[in-house]
Amino acid sequence: MSVLIDAASRFLIQGITGNVGRFSARDMSAYGTRVVGGTASGRGAADVEGVTVFQSVKAACEATQASASIAYVPASSAFDHVIEAFEAGIQLVIYPGDELPVQDAIELRAAAKANGATLIGPNTPGVISPGKAKAGFMPSFCYAPGPLGVISRSGSLSYEACFRLTGADLGQTTVIGIGGDPIKGLTAAEALDLLHADGETRAIVYLGEIGGSDEYSVAEYAARPGAKPVAALIVGRQAPPGRKMGHAGALIGSHADTHPAKMKALERAGVHATGTVSGLVAAAKRAFAASRQAA
Amino acid sequence: MLLTEHEGKALLASVGIAVPPGMLVRSADAVGRRKLPYPIALKAQVASGGRGKAGGVVRADSPLQARTAAKKLLATKFGGETPKAVLVEPWLAIERELYLSVTVDAAADGYVVLYSPRGGVDVEQGAAPASCEVGPARNFRAYRLREALAEIEADIAVRERVIALARRLVLLASSRDCTTVEINPLAKLADGSLVAADAKVVRDDYARFRAADIARRIDADHARQPRAIARALAGDLMLVWLDGEVGLISGGAGMTMAAMDLIADAGGRPACFLDCSANPTPQGYRLAFELLDGEPLVKVVLVSIFGGLTQMDRVARVMKEIMSERRWRKPVVFRLNGTNVTQANEILTQAGLHNNATIEDAVREALSLARKGDRR
Repeated sequence: MSVLIDAASRFLIQGITGNVGRFSARDMSAYGTRVVGGTASGRGAADVEGVTVFQSVKAACEATQASASIAYVPASSAFDHVIEAFEAGIQLVIYPGDELPVQDAIELRAAAKANGATLIGPNTPGVISPGKAKAGFMPSFCYAPGPLGVISRSGSLSYEACFRLTGADLGQTTVIGIGGDPIKGLTAAEALDLLHADGETRAIVYLGEIGGSDEYSVAEYAARPGAKPVAALIVGRQAPPGRKMGHAGALIGSHADTHPAKMKALERAGVHATGTVSGLVAAAKRAFAASRQAA
Repeated sequence: MLLTEHEGKALLASVGIAVPPGMLVRSADAVGRRKLPYPIALKAQVASGGRGKAGGVVRADSPLQARTAAKKLLATKFGGETPKAVLVEPWLAIERELYLSVTVDAAADGYVVLYSPRGGVDVEQGAAPASCEVGPARNFRAYRLREALAEIEADIAVRERVIALARRLVLLASSRDCTTVEINPLAKLADGSLVAADAKVVRDDYARFRAADIARRIDADHARQPRAIARALAGDLMLVWLDGEVGLISGGAGMTMAAMDLIADAGGRPACFLDCSANPTPQGYRLAFELLDGEPLVKVVLVSIFGGLTQMDRVARVMKEIMSERRWRKPVVFRLNGTNVTQANEILTQAGLHNNATIEDAVREALSLARKGDRR
């Protein structure tokens, strides 16, 4: 099993005529993902990389029975495109773009709930269920099928982490980029619930950083009776307080945001936590070994 | 971006929230020349917290006192920033100081209202304020806030005024892209009215495309930055100076932080973090090298990029070009991985450049080169 996406998922690419949309259409299809259509509002292209281009999400859905979409559109029009997808009946929308105003993130999260749909992002490389489907632009060679569910706040860190895990023969069920912004379509807690319910996910790897409170959701999950074993890598020990470190959410404002506070909470909850990327594979192995003991 | 008090109060006043009549002055002489309703408050205008405790708010009872106070405030740094102006307001006869704020909270799926019946400079030392989760602005419900305040605000008239004010703050935050609107103190005067005696407003930089005032403030802030930072910002690069010897050129916030951690673990210190992921073009990378080559602190440049959307064959080609035209002797260490890395390796090898297999190897090489440079 996998969560969110699999080989049966039928994807639309919103904004398929742009550079990123075009690249991703090729890249996602090459991975075996079913890209069934694209949209480009107001543009007259007939097809892009062999994918039919529609004028609206509704028209695309009627013609293709698409179930999910990924929107490569700028932040200034993200709200309109994502809402359009929800209201056309799309159940899963991934918005990879960054610099989305917080107000729009709040409204989109509410709109997803109101439509019984799921939003992933903003500011994410997407989601990949290795060997089945990828919705996003993560480098495919970093991933392989296996027993670990992965949740990450950072794109680049998830590539590095999964490259190492795959190299150590620790494949993944699904890798979910929840994104680095403070208001997320899918929170760490919700991603944990999905992976918890997935039969094939034996252990969970969480990739986090300073700032925000997602790491405390991870600690809360790990402390729950019956939780799957969790490994965590938390970066940002050297980040100076009060400075935004690239991600809107990566800012040390209070003590709870700091690296030591997060590590302590995770360790107390029984998470196999490490503060360095060099320690990730060992931590993931410990978590996986714990899952086999439990079985 | 944090607004100054004066800017924040203008925003509050624009939605009908009572603020003291104020006047901005930029020199001590200007204070002395004006006819003012003494006693007055002189308040240093800086975009940082903790001003009250640092002596940034002064009472003056005469023109002489006012001039002396203004002179001193304009020459003092608050939170590392020298005020460019002083806000002059009538000294308020405050009966009680309250605390009211609206901020974005992930746990609330949106906005949250915070209130304390005892505000002022020591609000952080007192009991935690009462909080009422709102979510999206349209979900503000007066009765829920009333329930949350019932136990802690005994004065019913004040409570009702606070609720009405909170509604306006939530709507202001959502309609004008504010991530925090904090009034501390919210002054209760003898006649029972509430006046925003201070304002701490944080606006969302990402809304610059639809808010001309935010865009103007960002441009003005950028123009005031030191030259290197201003150049980086103009080129869509994010540069934060630290004070070590390894100039880190990277892509993506998470891997940048991971690399900084590894540099420190190996006994080195990053000179900066310079994230090029928003502009991974020849111009962007050229600018990155210019900035680091021009900074004497930087002994070695470490290029660490794990690209997804950034295609590494393109990056490798740019690196090859930059290395062939670059006049500086500072050593450069590479660790490139990600999309199209096989082609990237071929390009680097042909150019006689070494690509490290792991970030750990790259950090080790960079630190050994930095130390050699020191001995020279």
